[in-house]
Amino acid sequence: MSVATAQIQVPPSRVMRYLASGVTPVLAVVLAIIVGGLVVLASGSNPVVAYQQMLVGAVGTPFDISETLISSIPLILAGYAVSFAFRCGLFNIGAEGQLYMGAIASTWVATTFSSWPGLALILICMVAAMVAGGAWAGIAGLLKARTGAHEVITTMMLSYVAIDVSHWLLEAGPMTPSNAFGTPESGPIPPQAAFPIILPSSILPNARLNASLFVTILAGVAFAWILWRTPLGYEIRAVGFNAKAAAYGGINVARRLIIAMVLAGAFAGLAGMVPVWVSGRLYDSFSPGYGYEAIAVALVGKNSAIGIFLAGLLYGAMIHGSVAMQANANISGFLVQILQALVLFFVGAEMLVRWILKKGGLRRVLEVAG
Amino acid sequence: MDIVGTFGPIFARPDLWAGTLRFAAPLTLAALGGVISERSGVVNIAMEGMMLVGAFFSVVVAAATHDIVLATLASVVCGGLIAAIHGVASIHLRANQIVSGMAINLLALGLTSFLMFRFFATNGTPANIPALPDVKIPVVDGIPFVGDVVGDQNIVVWLSILAVPIVWWFLFRTRLGLRIRAVGEHPRAADTLGISVFGIRYLCVILSGLLSGLGGAYLALSVAHSFSNNMTSGAGFIALAAMIFGKWNPIGAFLACLLFGFGQSLGINLQGTGFPDQLVSATPYLLTVVALAGFVGRAVPPAADGVPYEVGE
Repeated sequence: MSVATAQIQVPPSRVMRYLASGVTPVLAVVLAIIVGGLVVLASGSNPVVAYQQMLVGAVGTPFDISETLISSIPLILAGYAVSFAFRCGLFNIGAEGQLYMGAIASTWVATTFSSWPGLALILICMVAAMVAGGAWAGIAGLLKARTGAHEVITTMMLSYVAIDVSHWLLEAGPMTPSNAFGTPESGPIPPQAAFPIILPSSILPNARLNASLFVTILAGVAFAWILWRTPLGYEIRAVGFNAKAAAYGGINVARRLIIAMVLAGAFAGLAGMVPVWVSGRLYDSFSPGYGYEAIAVALVGKNSAIGIFLAGLLYGAMIHGSVAMQANANISGFLVQILQALVLFFVGAEMLVRWILKKGGLRRVLEVAG
Repeated sequence: MDIVGTFGPIFARPDLWAGTLRFAAPLTLAALGGVISERSGVVNIAMEGMMLVGAFFSVVVAAATHDIVLATLASVVCGGLIAAIHGVASIHLRANQIVSGMAINLLALGLTSFLMFRFFATNGTPANIPALPDVKIPVVDGIPFVGDVVGDQNIVVWLSILAVPIVWWFLFRTRLGLRIRAVGEHPRAADTLGISVFGIRYLCVILSGLLSGLGGAYLALSVAHSFSNNMTSGAGFIALAAMIFGKWNPIGAFLACLLFGFGQSLGINLQGTGFPDQLVSATPYLLTVVALAGFVGRAVPPAADGVPYEVGE
């Protein structure tokens, strides 16, 4: 009978394959929720209440949905930064520093050319963010290509340097505003340069969701288009798949490594600009670790544009939802970090998830996913 | 700016050099653990998480029992336990070891912060916890300068320095060490010779957890006398860099840790001199990049590092 079914099987369509490839991450999320629930239970609280509060907090009202999206955007953009490098076989563990550089450069441009008209200013700010992030990542790419310096160290070390530089700029350097009350922060981003709010206050009062959402969607399109629709992307993926074979095939591996890092850094630079624009100023330590969480987002999203977008939304929802959970259920919001870690763990331990699928009689899903 | 006038007196301060040793100690312990783990072929970027877990549980046990030995034991055991999770994922489940390591780091951060809220609410950890003892060396203590640098260091500082030649000897001069390196370079050949690849790898991953856990206990029970969320703040990642910088060799890794320790100590000693200490604290990181690109050259990990081993063919 199994032979007969095998004979009439048609090759799965692209859509089916795409959906099937999402099964392991989804199952990883389910497993994480179960194990996370056990942690809550063990700590003497009710996991159902915890998850209910988190869900309501994340998407319970249109305002919360807007806040969830705001939390997700830097994670998604930084996720693209990590993933783009991954596709070239590089582990960009220092997206955090590239993000800082993007934030610093865009803030500097915005506060320096504050008399410019809005559209021109916001565009050059975005360019500045991408150039700064790209250049910072490009150093690591260049060193990798020229001397073989391991990118895990160089990007991480450059991250610490970028963060220290931002502390200096805001605490004792040229970006400290003279009228600051001792709080390390830059001058304000000029109002005409702000991303327009998507929903006017007549529809949704105080909503902060702005046009950076569209920038993020465009970034996702660019990510997929470059990687899968251009010769450059093909070559970057070829280097990531097997650098020796790519070199044998006539691809200039060194140059592709550098370009991949620069483009990755450009995504991270944008990721750094968005939170500054939401809060209206560059604050000291403005990032709660977007660049590090982005590594998880990239991995959970399986390095695909849509996957990263969805993973970013999930992580953003957990972050925003945890605020309400802590307030209403008196359970530490750090439960979210446990959940994020567990999702990542189960995505990594794919063998375990596959084994569960097989036991559950869902072998076909695995075959379709390939 | 008068560079000599600023830096000269600081370099003559014993504090600078004593601080270098103090800051290097936890890094050294974690980096040595990383070296052992990666020499057996398991990539370990999870030292940060293992240190954090060690730090947290040392404080919990110290607060509960007021017994420094038990507290230290707890840090080592808990570091080993969380390392074992990384072991199961990397060795049996053949997970991507970078993913698993990252998951361990996030899990450690989440779990310790979550339990911190559960156990101590927002009050912080109690102040009356026992500390890891300092070792006063009778004669040396009296020598000017030298005495101030090494005469009264913490016991863990000495342990970390002692651990360097021990780990080197263990890896390069013992049978077990040879087996570990064989498993890390060519597991199939080692397996053929009857060496248990899985057994060796579990041993090494767990050893790395024990060492990192002790590093965490030192941070909590000697440096900070408390636990606060994310208190390791990247020390495990610096240890990771030191391991690669030192080319997976215990002595090289130790030297790299001394460099990072020096940078941190210099940053602290420059505070209040008007010199921007934020930029100084960036110097060791920048130096690492320059050194790595300039004269250290290509860092080559053990051949089977990060490659899960599948039994049989």
